[in-house]
Amino acid sequence: MKNFAKTREKIAFTMLGLATFIVVLPILLTIYYVVSNGSPAVTWEFLSKGPTNGMTEGGIFPAILGTVILIIGTMVCSLPIGILSAIYLVEYAKDNLFTRLIKLSVVNLSGIPSIVYGLFGFTLFVVFFRLGTSIVAGALTLAIMSLPVIITATKEALESVPNTYREISLSLGATKWQTVRYCVLPYAIPGILTGTVLSLSRAAGETAPILFTVAAFYLTQLPHSIFDQVMALPYHLYVISTQVPNMPTQISFATGFVLIALVFVMNLFSIILRGHYRKKKQW
Amino acid sequence: MKKFILITMIVPLFLAGCDGDTDPNGPNGFIQIKGSDTIVNAEQMVAENFIKIYPHIAIAVTGGGTGVGIASLINKNCQIAGASREMKSKEINTANKYGVHPFETVVAFDGVAVIVNLNNPIDKLTIDDLHNIYTGKIKNWKDLGGKDIAFVLLSREVSSGTHTYFKEQVIQLGKKTSKEEFLPGTLLLSSSQAIVEEVVSNEGAIGYLGMGYVSGRTKSLMLDKGKGYFSPTVPNVISKQYPLSRPLYFYTDGDPNNLTKLFVDYALSEQGQQCFKSSGFVPLKDNATENK
Repeated sequence: MKNFAKTREKIAFTMLGLATFIVVLPILLTIYYVVSNGSPAVTWEFLSKGPTNGMTEGGIFPAILGTVILIIGTMVCSLPIGILSAIYLVEYAKDNLFTRLIKLSVVNLSGIPSIVYGLFGFTLFVVFFRLGTSIVAGALTLAIMSLPVIITATKEALESVPNTYREISLSLGATKWQTVRYCVLPYAIPGILTGTVLSLSRAAGETAPILFTVAAFYLTQLPHSIFDQVMALPYHLYVISTQVPNMPTQISFATGFVLIALVFVMNLFSIILRGHYRKKKQW
Repeated sequence: MKKFILITMIVPLFLAGCDGDTDPNGPNGFIQIKGSDTIVNAEQMVAENFIKIYPHIAIAVTGGGTGVGIASLINKNCQIAGASREMKSKEINTANKYGVHPFETVVAFDGVAVIVNLNNPIDKLTIDDLHNIYTGKIKNWKDLGGKDIAFVLLSREVSSGTHTYFKEQVIQLGKKTSKEEFLPGTLLLSSSQAIVEEVVSNEGAIGYLGMGYVSGRTKSLMLDKGKGYFSPTVPNVISKQYPLSRPLYFYTDGDPNNLTKLFVDYALSEQGQQCFKSSGFVPLKDNATENK
């Protein structure tokens, strides 16, 4: 009877391990495939020059720059609003029907497909507010898309701070704001950072929201103001693989490689930052 | 964290500052070109060479389809709309209503090639065969003497000028009164290159696209419209013997002026036409000289 239990445990563990392996496998394969096909084409020239000869030669600098600008713009637009509203929702808002409705809509917002955000951004920012296809319109669209994720992540980070912290602080006569500022936020920051950077790196890789709001097939100049269009890595990758005949596949893979690397660096940055703040924290 | 924020704020300022040196001598400004996916690659090449002469003019080129370009021209979101078909009278009416007066310039010629998989034994079709295939009157390659494989019909989506052209010339056989449509099972793909990729991997597939997208990876069929079979080659498009030959257009609001005139003139110049030629289209000049 005892042996039987052990065998069952073995089977269970094998199944669990297998499931985990299947999760990791596609990631490893994708990275291997993209890196092995693309890395030979990633040269300094590729990273620093614009596309030439009908996009089939030269580099992708305008697209890299465009994506970086879009990420910064998205961050500027979404981070303050997202984090502040999450603090409000967790620390200040009373638990009534209205707050519950807001929380419910935040959760539902994160389930909306990105192409819907793209169309929404196009109608609202590009057409209605007359921002035209521009960096502002694209960054705002991406910001709206990132907001629910940022709010949810921040909320979870705040909620994971034990309630006793707040109670002790308040019992010592601190105001609500002092409590949030000095006793809750410092401990929630690692969680907030991870969530926001993840949402921003998702925004960096999205094609649909920027399709109608900011992306250009080809620009002869780098953007001068926030009302210019930009080329962006995911859209560039999309057009060179679907639109340009006789495109060397190496360039497509190299573009994909750069995009993955960019997102990876962002995630790495968030992990390092989180580690840094975690060290300071003593529960 | 503070440092990071500071850096992210300074970097764009720096980047914005370093290429703002506009020379007051040369013409400068901004041209937005939108429209047909068929010619977007040629437009891109024209733009690339154009700014070598006028480095202070900025150009944005975006595809999306002829319909997208014309809609943008009407909304004043672009100065030049690339089109692979003529504007419809309905579109011109709408444009006039918004105070836009479309002006047409023919920039090159194009043949619409019908492509199949390299393993397909069929080499030539009549326009009627093509009509029967795309309207579902025949279902299988063996009806035309080919392998026993059902047709997989590929088409561009409705915003494409090539789609409209093919519908008028093949589905409706050029009859204005015809209400015939593509067979409902036809796959509408979002780009010409997507059609190429599908045909390369699918032996039953048949698709159509601008000559610029033809490569050695697919087989272009010879077509006959009562005058014998012709393949989609430059001489056959020039002589108009290839049945699916058409002009490609630039539409501007009114006569091209200032910047748009510079660009349209450049597209019509020898260097500009060379770009259309190397993108696989038929330049106007060859047309004039060889068509005596």
